[in-house]
Amino acid sequence: MAAQGIPTHRTPPLIYRVARALRWTGTIVLVLLVVFAGTVAYSAYETAHATIRSESFSGVFVSNGVIEVSGSFVLSNPGIYPIESLELAAHVANASGVHLATLAIGPKTIEGGSTGVFPISLGLPIDASSAVESLLFEDQPIELSAWANVTYAYLFPLSIALLETRSWGAPFEGFAATVGTPTYNNNEVTAPVTLSWANHADFDEQGSISFTVESAGQVTCGGGSFPVDVPSGQLFDQTDVISMSTTCSPSGGELLLTYSVAGTSTTFPPEPIP
Amino acid sequence: MNAAPDTTPPTPLPLGYRVPSLAYRIIVAGLRVIVSFVAFVALPVAALAYLHSRGIAIPVSIAAVTTWGIVLLLLSAARYVLKPTVAYGPLSVLLSGVFLGYLYYLVLLSPYKFALPGGTASIAAGYSMFLELLMVVPALEIVAGVLTTVEDVAHPKERLPFDYPV
Repeated sequence: MAAQGIPTHRTPPLIYRVARALRWTGTIVLVLLVVFAGTVAYSAYETAHATIRSESFSGVFVSNGVIEVSGSFVLSNPGIYPIESLELAAHVANASGVHLATLAIGPKTIEGGSTGVFPISLGLPIDASSAVESLLFEDQPIELSAWANVTYAYLFPLSIALLETRSWGAPFEGFAATVGTPTYNNNEVTAPVTLSWANHADFDEQGSISFTVESAGQVTCGGGSFPVDVPSGQLFDQTDVISMSTTCSPSGGELLLTYSVAGTSTTFPPEPIP
Repeated sequence: MNAAPDTTPPTPLPLGYRVPSLAYRIIVAGLRVIVSFVAFVALPVAALAYLHSRGIAIPVSIAAVTTWGIVLLLLSAARYVLKPTVAYGPLSVLLSGVFLGYLYYLVLLSPYKFALPGGTASIAAGYSMFLELLMVVPALEIVAGVLTTVEDVAHPKERLPFDYPV
């Protein structure tokens, strides 16, 4: 039997209980958000230290006067939160600021603990008739401007702007084409034609360069073709002796050249003949 | 002769409470300030100073973090010391209001724009959504503070047996 006079347990007043519940709710939300922020910071640190690497970049003539640089870059996300809405845009310009190509990727998502592989392809117009023909013959810096938007860990949007200068290796660096002094022998006229350049591009050159010698009056004196098989980083220096019309003088004329590879052809600027 | 059983329900006695002394509360509040100072002022300032030393622009000034942090800590300490009084509710509202103002100040600074050393990449990191979620905490505390103030005015000391049970 309960003795009289023992204090009876009293339920706290409603207003007190509501206030207490609100404080507890606030505390729980605060703890959860602090823990979330901590895990996001750790996860972002891990992701920031993951390497972004590029794979198997190669260049190839894909159409008349266009080199396509293709490959892929790999982005690892070792963190626990996803990288969402990844969008990337890039703008490539030569040293003079002339626009060369644009690249766009996304939107993509890289889940936590996974790796994203993004194939990219840049078409660089290097035809001799374009404003950026120097890409064909001159090594030069190329400006790469890239912008990326991404949402990390659901709540944190990131915008990244990147400006990098890369060096462009010209496939026909230092290109020189000369027509030597014609030799007259009976009814035959011959002249040496010499081509030389260095392949500074990161791809091999396999094709042919056909040429035509024109007189000052634009009469064809003769022509020929050089087979081209120049690995990346190697030099080309060959001379071919061609037969020409006895009535045609190349002096003051032009040497017209066309590089052909895999069904595409690129016309070089005319080389004046002294 | 047996007495008739008493069927009257026992009258509840007032609940007792034991409020710690003012000196005790001041000492505990001081210790809480020290711990909180490390967590909410010293560590953030150290992180900002680290970024600054690496040549990376910092999202908020060290002076602002220090000032806001110290004000919040002092208000929090005062609220703890004055918890047994009617000032507890209004101080809770004031503290949460200042915290809300601090978060709003940080939201205005979002996104955090900085350039990586070397200057080839610049990054803008938005964090306003996270802070807006965090604002739920002081908002709830403001409502709780208002309710406590109403309770203290209507029924003074009614909450003390539950805040400081014997």
